[in-house]
Amino acid sequence: MADSLLKFFQYVTDQAAHLLFLSWDHIIMVLCGLALAVAVGVPLGVVSARFPKLAGVVLSAANVIQVFPSLALLAVLMIFFGLGFKAVVIALFLYSLLPITRNTYVALKQVDPSMIEAGTGAGMSPLQLLFKVQLPLSLPFLMAGIRLAAVIAIGVATLAPLIGGDGLGREIYSGLSARNNIKIYAGAVPAALLAILADIGLGKLQQRLKASRKPKVAD
Amino acid sequence: MRKRGITLCSLLLVGLSLVLTACGSGGKKIVIGTQNYTEPKIIAEMYKALIEDRTGLTVEIKPDLASSKVVIEGMRNNELHMATLYTGEVFNGYFEVEQTKDREKVLQQAQQGFSEHYQLKWFDPYGFENTYAFTVRKEVAQKYNLQNVSDLKPYADTMRIGVDNTWLERESDGYRAFQKTYGFQFKEAFPMQIGLVYEAVANEEVDVVLAYTTDAGLKQYDLQTLRDDKQFFPPFDASPVVREETLKEYPELEEIVSLLIGKIDADTMTELNYYVDVEHRSEKEVAVEFLRQLGLLE
Repeated sequence: MADSLLKFFQYVTDQAAHLLFLSWDHIIMVLCGLALAVAVGVPLGVVSARFPKLAGVVLSAANVIQVFPSLALLAVLMIFFGLGFKAVVIALFLYSLLPITRNTYVALKQVDPSMIEAGTGAGMSPLQLLFKVQLPLSLPFLMAGIRLAAVIAIGVATLAPLIGGDGLGREIYSGLSARNNIKIYAGAVPAALLAILADIGLGKLQQRLKASRKPKVAD
Repeated sequence: MRKRGITLCSLLLVGLSLVLTACGSGGKKIVIGTQNYTEPKIIAEMYKALIEDRTGLTVEIKPDLASSKVVIEGMRNNELHMATLYTGEVFNGYFEVEQTKDREKVLQQAQQGFSEHYQLKWFDPYGFENTYAFTVRKEVAQKYNLQNVSDLKPYADTMRIGVDNTWLERESDGYRAFQKTYGFQFKEAFPMQIGLVYEAVANEEVDVVLAYTTDAGLKQYDLQTLRDDKQFFPPFDASPVVREETLKEYPELEEIVSLLIGKIDADTMTELNYYVDVEHRSEKEVAVEFLRQLGLLE
């Protein structure tokens, strides 16, 4: 046990540059997927909150995507977007869509109606109301959605090599095929750490948003 | 609040610009795709060494693609230029084929069909076959007196089998077709990464594994192969496959690709796989060493 731990550390230090490079690829894929998901998911959530009839359709569509097995989704996307980066990012985007859309929707729905009334009373237009009252008050919930999406995306991104993408999955699959456990750990441990770090970091951000929201409400 | 908006927006922009920059790359590069097991990776390293040694081209290897279907799809889209494929692949529904177990005929169909429908040049084989084989632990073979696959029939409903990721879904040589030919099924079938099946059988987590015949695991775990007495599996001779367009663009490749044809027999391939899978040497090191032995590389 101690021996293999030693071997693991030796391997990791030997390959540090390579592993960092793979981690960087991994992070980029996840960030691109998340960015797309925020760009599309938040507006979708806003629209859903505003038009309840649409909400059902949008949320169940996002739900359907979520239950697709990830490998199957990747294989299908590969046919449309080719091998590698693009297909992986689109897959991560699709997986991140539900948590972000749903949380935006729920967040907007839970805004205290009296706040909205106050805004309307102050003569705000619906857009002003959205940007100055509803969205700021929903930020912590939205953040929770992004946090969840990030952790899922970091996990799914390890499948990238199967369709020609990069990232920490490279090490994992290379280790699996050559039956080299050290390589598997060298890919899996950093991926797990990334997920934990993302969870903690975004969790902190979420706490801060919550805290900063309170005095504003009291104002 | 405004600050947050700005960070969000910049994150978005960074993401999008990265997506865009990632798309625009080119240059004189040959991309070799490989499936997710050692053998095609070693061969890819051989070609990388040979091509980079004899031409000004650079070679990139895309390892660990999910299946040969992904590899072929990648070649069709011009994202991969080259790969190692096995003749039995023709029976996986790419185009109409005649059902036959005749080696020559299968090869011929692969060469003709993939040229016609996919514009891929299927070269003659390297000289080894890597097919599926049912294998068991030696003591299991002795206990039940197993020699042929048919001998499993009376015991199969108590046995668990470990198979690779694609076998259960493969059409003509997969599990369903197998049940039709042999007339029995196993108690449970576990698909997994092929590298894991050997350990699974050694640890008695499964009783039978569907191995690849040139895999080092057979030797490493001293497994007994059962004879395919009903000739269920088609021949799986390995050949280099290259896009015809790529060959037109770089005619010098034809000769380099041909260098390995007829040069690797099954024992040699098993040994090379053994160096990587059991001795944990890198594919590249093993490939270069082999080329030096052949005198193809200084």
